Amino acid sequence: MAEKFHTELNNLKTETLEMAHLGRFMLRTAIDALIRQDNDLAESVVTRKEEIHTMEVRLEERCYQLIAMNQPMAKDMRVIACTLKVITASLRIGRYGKVIANIVKKISDQPHIANLMSIPHMADLAIEMIDDSIEAYEKDSIEAISDFSVRDDTIDSLRQSIFREGITYMMEDPKSITRCTNYILVARYLERCADHACKIAENVHYMNTGERIEIH
Amino acid sequence: MSESAIITTNNVNLWYNGKRALESVSMKIPKNKVTALIGPSGCGKSTLLRCFNRLNDLIDHVKITGEITLDEKNIQEPGTDVVMLRKKVGMVFQKPNPFPKSIHENVAYGPRVHGVKDKAELDRIVELSLHHAALWDEVKDRLNDSALGLSGGQQQRLCIARTLAVEPEVILMDEPCSALDPIATAKIENLIDLLKKDYTVIIVTHNMQQAARMSDYTGFMYLGKLIECGKTNQIFEHPKEDLTENYITGRFG
Repeated sequence: MAEKFHTELNNLKTETLEMAHLGRFMLRTAIDALIRQDNDLAESVVTRKEEIHTMEVRLEERCYQLIAMNQPMAKDMRVIACTLKVITASLRIGRYGKVIANIVKKISDQPHIANLMSIPHMADLAIEMIDDSIEAYEKDSIEAISDFSVRDDTIDSLRQSIFREGITYMMEDPKSITRCTNYILVARYLERCADHACKIAENVHYMNTGERIEIH
Repeated sequence: MSESAIITTNNVNLWYNGKRALESVSMKIPKNKVTALIGPSGCGKSTLLRCFNRLNDLIDHVKITGEITLDEKNIQEPGTDVVMLRKKVGMVFQKPNPFPKSIHENVAYGPRVHGVKDKAELDRIVELSLHHAALWDEVKDRLNDSALGLSGGQQQRLCIARTLAVEPEVILMDEPCSALDPIATAKIENLIDLLKKDYTVIIVTHNMQQAARMSDYTGFMYLGKLIECGKTNQIFEHPKEDLTENYITGRFG
């Protein structure tokens, strides 16, 4: 029975990784659509919304079934606890991708202001954090997430920088208010995505060591 | 363990016919707590349990070394009054084993052996013990019926009442629920939770969920050694030893 349970647990992890990669893909594609002002690409993100939601429901259900049927303990229990958090974080990341894609469709008819400020750079950093947190979950390793606290500080600084820069452009030219407000929102969503990567990292740390940490 | 210990073992070794069954076991059993001993069959958990009231003395060719203290007195010393020790350290076994006597007599037997002759006092002890064992309401109208007519779960609670009647400090339980159905098991588990207010309970169980549910501390044994002992939530959430981890996650045993 233990062997069957561990096979199911491995399968759960594999499918959760698929969901995490989908969430990451939706965010990356939405940012690419924003940079290229590509409505079709943005629409392709929006259409994945149902898919990621269905995955969330199915995988959460699997976690609850594994708990109910096997009463897992020690690392087995921690893997399922972590998996539930990865599922939630992946859904949120994917949904932020969808929200950014919807913004793209609203503002793609006008040229970028200040070449999107630091948004592309911030997106790269946030997505790297997502990649590293997913890899840590996949490989049972905490090496790639050891510097998340510093990286999260950088993300916070970039969001503040984009906020200040956006306000400056809005004061200079009220016609830029809609675009700059949307840039500020995108920066906020990217910051939240990096926070979800931190959440995954905290839970991977717990999964591997049994110790709780908080990444500020 | 920060709680005061009622039983302490220090480097305890035990051999049956020259075969080592316990190896250098050192642990502390906290007072008024439930301590569970878990481990695969033959790991020595029942043997260790039986050391606490010297039940292994009844087996031929047993050799024990090391120190076992109850209330800071070494119970291994030759002058130990074993009858008094077993009064202080009661035991409930895997299969309910009531005497083929009435319900009342099963509970009154122990106090009577220990010198209580007054009938009213015996009746008081019987009622109190049955109350503590959560059995009184079910048997109060048939105290003179045979104990063998009770269900398995009721018989086991009667055995607990019989143990309580001699006012022990420690109750040893060797797989007390393994012969019971889930409802009877739940009643015994609830009872053990109530008993720890007044007694120290040490329970041997194969059922890890039961150990996790009921105990405050858990010791994991393997091949006669105590591999790890600590607070139950720590043992089941993040054990320190890989062997413990592998056992409780079902990778062996």
